[in-house]
Amino acid sequence: MRGAPRRGAPRRLTRTEARSARAASGFLLPFLALFLLCFIAPIGYALYESLLKVERTGPLGLGGETKQVWAGLSNYAHALEDDRFTVGFGRVLLFGAVQIPVMIAFATGLALLLDAASARWVGFFRTAFFLPYGVPGVIASILWGFLYVPGISPLVEMADSIGWNVDFLGRGAVLWSIANIVTWQFTGYNMLVLIAQLKAVPGELYEAARIDGASAWQVARHIKLPLIRPALVLTTVFSLIGTLQLFAEPKVLKPLSNSIDSGYTPNLAAYNEAFTSNNQHIAAAEAVLLALVACVLSFGFLRLVGQRGKDGESG
Amino acid sequence: MSDTARNRNTWTHGTPRRAVLGGAAAAAAGFALAGCGSDDDGGDEPKGRKKGEKITLTFWSWVPGIDKPVALWNSKNPEVRVKVEKVSAVDGAQYAKMHAAIKAGNPPDLGQIEYPVVPSFLIDNGLLDLTKYGVADHKDKFIGWQWQQSVFGKAVYAVPQASGPMGLFIRQDLFEKWGIEPPTTWDEYEAAATAIRKKGAWIETFSATNGNRFAGLAWQAGARWFGTEGDTWTVSIDDEPTRKVADYWYGLVRRKLIKTIPDRQNAWYKDVQTGDMASWLGASWGDALLVGNAPKTAGKWRVAPMPQWKKGDAAYANWGGSTTAVFAKSKYPKDALAFAIWLNTDPESIKLLIENGYGTPGAKQGYTTSQLDVHKDFFGGQEYSEVFDEASRGVDTSWKWGPATDTLYQRLGDAFTAAIGDGSDFRSVLKKVQSQTITDLKEKGLQVKAG
Amino acid sequence: MSEANDPAGGVVAGEPGGPTDGPTDGPTDGAARGGPEAAPPGDRPGDRPGVGRRRAAKGREGLRPPLRHRIITASLLTVAALYFLTPVYWLVVSSTKSSSDLFGTFGFWFHDPHPLDYLHRVLTYDDGIYVRWFANSLMYAGVGALAATLLSAAAGYALAKYRFPGREGIFNVILAGVLIPGTALALPLYLLFSEVGLANTYWAVLIPSVVSPFGVYLCRIYAAAAVPDSLLEAARIDGAGEARIFSTLGLRLMTPALVTVFLFQFVHIWNNFFLPLVMLSDSDLYPIQLGLTSWQGYADRQPELYQYTVGGAFLSVLPLMVLMGVLQRYWRTGLTEGSVKA
Repeated sequence: MRGAPRRGAPRRLTRTEARSARAASGFLLPFLALFLLCFIAPIGYALYESLLKVERTGPLGLGGETKQVWAGLSNYAHALEDDRFTVGFGRVLLFGAVQIPVMIAFATGLALLLDAASARWVGFFRTAFFLPYGVPGVIASILWGFLYVPGISPLVEMADSIGWNVDFLGRGAVLWSIANIVTWQFTGYNMLVLIAQLKAVPGELYEAARIDGASAWQVARHIKLPLIRPALVLTTVFSLIGTLQLFAEPKVLKPLSNSIDSGYTPNLAAYNEAFTSNNQHIAAAEAVLLALVACVLSFGFLRLVGQRGKDGESG
Repeated sequence: MSDTARNRNTWTHGTPRRAVLGGAAAAAAGFALAGCGSDDDGGDEPKGRKKGEKITLTFWSWVPGIDKPVALWNSKNPEVRVKVEKVSAVDGAQYAKMHAAIKAGNPPDLGQIEYPVVPSFLIDNGLLDLTKYGVADHKDKFIGWQWQQSVFGKAVYAVPQASGPMGLFIRQDLFEKWGIEPPTTWDEYEAAATAIRKKGAWIETFSATNGNRFAGLAWQAGARWFGTEGDTWTVSIDDEPTRKVADYWYGLVRRKLIKTIPDRQNAWYKDVQTGDMASWLGASWGDALLVGNAPKTAGKWRVAPMPQWKKGDAAYANWGGSTTAVFAKSKYPKDALAFAIWLNTDPESIKLLIENGYGTPGAKQGYTTSQLDVHKDFFGGQEYSEVFDEASRGVDTSWKWGPATDTLYQRLGDAFTAAIGDGSDFRSVLKKVQSQTITDLKEKGLQVKAG
Repeated sequence: MSEANDPAGGVVAGEPGGPTDGPTDGPTDGAARGGPEAAPPGDRPGDRPGVGRRRAAKGREGLRPPLRHRIITASLLTVAALYFLTPVYWLVVSSTKSSSDLFGTFGFWFHDPHPLDYLHRVLTYDDGIYVRWFANSLMYAGVGALAATLLSAAAGYALAKYRFPGREGIFNVILAGVLIPGTALALPLYLLFSEVGLANTYWAVLIPSVVSPFGVYLCRIYAAAAVPDSLLEAARIDGAGEARIFSTLGLRLMTPALVTVFLFQFVHIWNNFFLPLVMLSDSDLYPIQLGLTSWQGYADRQPELYQYTVGGAFLSVLPLMVLMGVLQRYWRTGLTEGSVKA
């Protein structure tokens, strides 16, 4: 057993370390086994499936045998040539580029406001903002669906009565209607993460700033914001992953809108490929692409902010 | 793990490659498909129920009120209990669920499957060939062409339940008030659409995602989307009759004579209730939907025949139409088949099914035409089933469904969604879907060419 | 409502300055500084002249600026609250309506309400399948989150407190697991589970739910900070076994993080739609969201299901929202731990 040198008698150290490795593996193994089953194995399986395709023989291909043959990268080619899939990707990226900053800014604003507000109603507001997090995405979508459908929605009705014609489910609007559902659900959660981080800021810092004559805005801008940066990074990464997974909202709204197609998001495309079109090989390729893009984007983002953070420190 | 479960079946149990039917037989019997499923190789065959053993069969369906005939069956057959699970028929959800269950190896025993989609499940090897269980004995109880819809080669994969001959539901009161005659041709329909639009209401909606109805419209116009040449599928979605239909509806959409909201959803029901939508090009099973969702409009509706391309013609089509199929994995195929036959032929069962609105029976006997007028009062005393009966006789039954209709509907839905969104004409939809369908079938390992 | 919770929240969190809310800006501070509008955007704190000028100007107006400051804050918060609560209000109103009133009457006001009657029908429809869905959801989320918490705790503790070859490698792989969307895994997992006959069973949803890479990450960071090596050494010298040390010392010291992992995973499982949708076809196994979408999907055949869907949504949201209100203080606890090092 190798190990970093530690203080203490050499012989005892070895024994400790051996024991340590044994104990550690005991603690780690249950998780690792399941991690292997639920993370590594599916990815491996998806990779494998994505490289195969079906060949049929017999009359009209429906009779005799089906066998799986090596397909190379043709499933990937098919997925990438299918504009339904690629457009869906572009769509969630656009969605993320707009919705995430808006939501994070909204959450930050609320966190700072609550942090700065007089204590009286803070508890009520915080609870109100956080409540939607307890509403699952599907139910939130059913709920907002009723608020979007023209002829039923009181919102549309009210807008109509002041002569404002809105179509939440129309071609141009529906993506942002979905963004609204996501924002509604998760702003409070992100706000809470940020508040937690704000509470961790030592009070002396504010005191010092105040003595310096800084305004509330200045304290927020120059002390609080930089200090909650790690939390902002965290919430952004999670939002990014969440965005790439978009599924429940478009799936629930699809029957209500004439503007959501079966590949509206990559996830919806993969789902439909697997279950409607019953083509698991292409679905597997799409799942692999989705995982890949998610990893690249998240890592890229973390690196980017990591880099900037260092620059900031040195500069 | 190199093969999926279904392939493993084929391999390890070594299903012998079965005889292929010739072209003539194929034409007579739907498409020639041989030896689907590995159910018929001795070792795999389910043992079935022992005498006196109590079993429960699961049955997925979306016929309104399907639980009533099932309850009747359960009271009469305590040993073979059937448990219904109502599945959503929105956007093909029910088939996604069935495909998933087949893949997972635990489908229900029985399922409602529409005629267009039966072949898709043969690709899955998902359905049981019922000939071994004596289904042929019941052939004469069903209307010939409906029976043939589930016959592939010598195998019979499902029991007909009902068909959906199309017809035009209209709000008689509104048409009268506005002085508009119910249209008998598509030209008149367009004129009516224009007139109704002037009154501030709409005649209909063209729902982008309703591939089933669009197929019916093409069918009526004389299109033939699928065919076979030897072992090769031919696809001709972009044929002349379909173009005619596409151009026609594109014209209505472009001139904003028709809505484009999804049908049979919240907003649509609202429109039906309020009279904002004055008619619905539906099918025989649609009466129950209207009665259920717009009860306050009772007495105001009538049913007219589907408009014709040429005055005086009598060309009709089906929208939907279902079978009761037994899934290949069922442990009790014999009992499942017995239930399927009973459900669709027993007079009491048919009576309950009709009352709840399942369409035009696939059975020849066990009911009277007047029995089909369940909601006579809702339609102002009209004997509306005669309209559908007439339509049923005018359906060209040589129309064939391809092997991946659910994918096709999705393609159509996506393409119409895009076209309505960006205003491009519907011919582009046909062109796109034609080429996509060929690719899709190739991806499934089938031989295919443009027809 | 949760004002009283705050001190407790602070204590559990062990956060500096926890007990008081909004300590930075009492009324007097505001008076002295002139409110948020006083600072030019992007200005530096050291930029005295501008601030001074404004302050002088406001000073003459007495106590108005702080009041205005507070009014602005309060109105912004109120607008935000309206946004978050309006749909909830709609849900409450709509759960008391019949299907036809749902479509036919103004959504933001009551019409012939029969709340108890309708809710009773939701609960008893189809032999009380709703109750079963609810119980399933509770089971998936409860059992799944509990198991996930224990697994994460053990793994995080091991990664934080023991040195062994490959430790960082393992940790990095787990970290990468955080970044992979669960839905990208669900499809292949479904195919895999189908192969081994696990699809469409309780296990199909439970097993993937107990694996929480984020939980491991959180537990490792928390354990590294909150479980002192010296304490472990002392316990070892006393002759305690590793498992015992973990279960008595480790788990106790990690409690705040464990609560967070549990809640995080509970909500995650409760909200998860894709996994059960893909895995389950037997409605007896459905969690609540899947059940409700199946009702909604069938509603055109059976219009009263619209009402049941809305009523069911209301019922399902109720307990979780109460839970959110009560438990939010715990959320703040460990979340910081996660983000500090991110």
